[in-house]
Amino acid sequence: MPGIDECLLEAMRLPGARGAALVDWTSGLALGTVGEPPGGDHETAAAEAAELARLAAEQRAFAPDDGEEAADPPVEDLILSNRDSYHVLRFVRTSFDSSVFLHLWLARADGNLALARIRLGEMAGRLVLG
Amino acid sequence: MTMVGTTPPPRLPVRNKAAGSRSGGVSPMLTRLAAERATGVLVRECGTLYLTEGRVVHAESPLAPGLDVILTAHGTLDARAWQDAVDRADQRHDADRLLLDGGRLAPGALELCHLSALYDAAYFALAPSRTPGHFHYGTTHWLGSVHPVPVAAVEHETLRRRSLLHRIWPDPASDSAPLERVDTAAAPAVAPRQSAVLGRVDGIRTAADIARELGRPAFHTLVAVRRLAAAGLVAPRTPPTPAGAASADRAGTGIAAPDGLRTAAPDIALLKRVRDALEAL
Repeated sequence: MPGIDECLLEAMRLPGARGAALVDWTSGLALGTVGEPPGGDHETAAAEAAELARLAAEQRAFAPDDGEEAADPPVEDLILSNRDSYHVLRFVRTSFDSSVFLHLWLARADGNLALARIRLGEMAGRLVLG
Repeated sequence: MTMVGTTPPPRLPVRNKAAGSRSGGVSPMLTRLAAERATGVLVRECGTLYLTEGRVVHAESPLAPGLDVILTAHGTLDARAWQDAVDRADQRHDADRLLLDGGRLAPGALELCHLSALYDAAYFALAPSRTPGHFHYGTTHWLGSVHPVPVAAVEHETLRRRSLLHRIWPDPASDSAPLERVDTAAAPAVAPRQSAVLGRVDGIRTAADIARELGRPAFHTLVAVRRLAAAGLVAPRTPPTPAGAASADRAGTGIAAPDGLRTAAPDIALLKRVRDALEAL
């Protein structure tokens, strides 16, 4: 039964993890942060990641096309890569009204993107369901 | 022969946007209470902050839905379970422990909702006020300390939120007035979370009413409302002008005004919006 900090510390145990945060994408507020901040500052990183998450969550083009009613948000996660790292943004589905996601920053040399994506999904579920 | 120079046009009035951030904190009293690690409750015009040893443990505002509304609006917790925990909370048992120990709520869900409600209510509690705040030493909140937050973090976030709203749409009128929809020829697409807000705009409800109905933090609702205002889909309802005054004035001139020009008030509102939008560029 993890709280926010326990959840982020668990994310930091993934191979190659450099930093993790729980961010609200409407306000851009980091509700929790651990490890290194991407770009040198947790607050700025949270605000920038929130902008990206909001765009992904709101555009119709990224929603599923199977005809069923879309969840809120319709997107599950976002994966972004650069020369030396990966960023995985996992939306947290809650039974209450919220707009939060887990942001994991992984070193590309040690990180396992597939594993991180699966684990982050499980953590997002446990965070709010216990 | 004297040269006649033209007078330069007066400078347009521009609000001093930096004034708020330059003065540092939003409440000198709160900064002092944090420094002396005070425990108690700070009552301000638009809300209250509960402090434990100089850290914010809870915040409430009549303008923001409480933790109970956020947890019960979508059935995360049923209203009876909440009431039960509130009733049983006493000196030795805080309500947060009762909710968690009963297995009714995951710790992450409680923390998430609590932090969200805390920053939300603090945004309104720390709004500029006309009356001085009061601090009552020793008072604690029955909920307990779910996740204490430093005062500096709450003040900093409040200022950041103010500038975020200002960047989206600089006119604060839509934050508190009853909202109405604006008919537009080519309405832009509205994101699902905003359309939930738009669907409740009916000329009577304010942003705070809509937040309570959706069980959504009020600041999040303000963000949606300002974005809808920026898109030209929603506007604060202008109070009806006394029709008699306008028509009597026009009757004196003997000129019949066309329908669209009957009242002057909406034009002033429009000019104000244009000025604000230009300032924001």
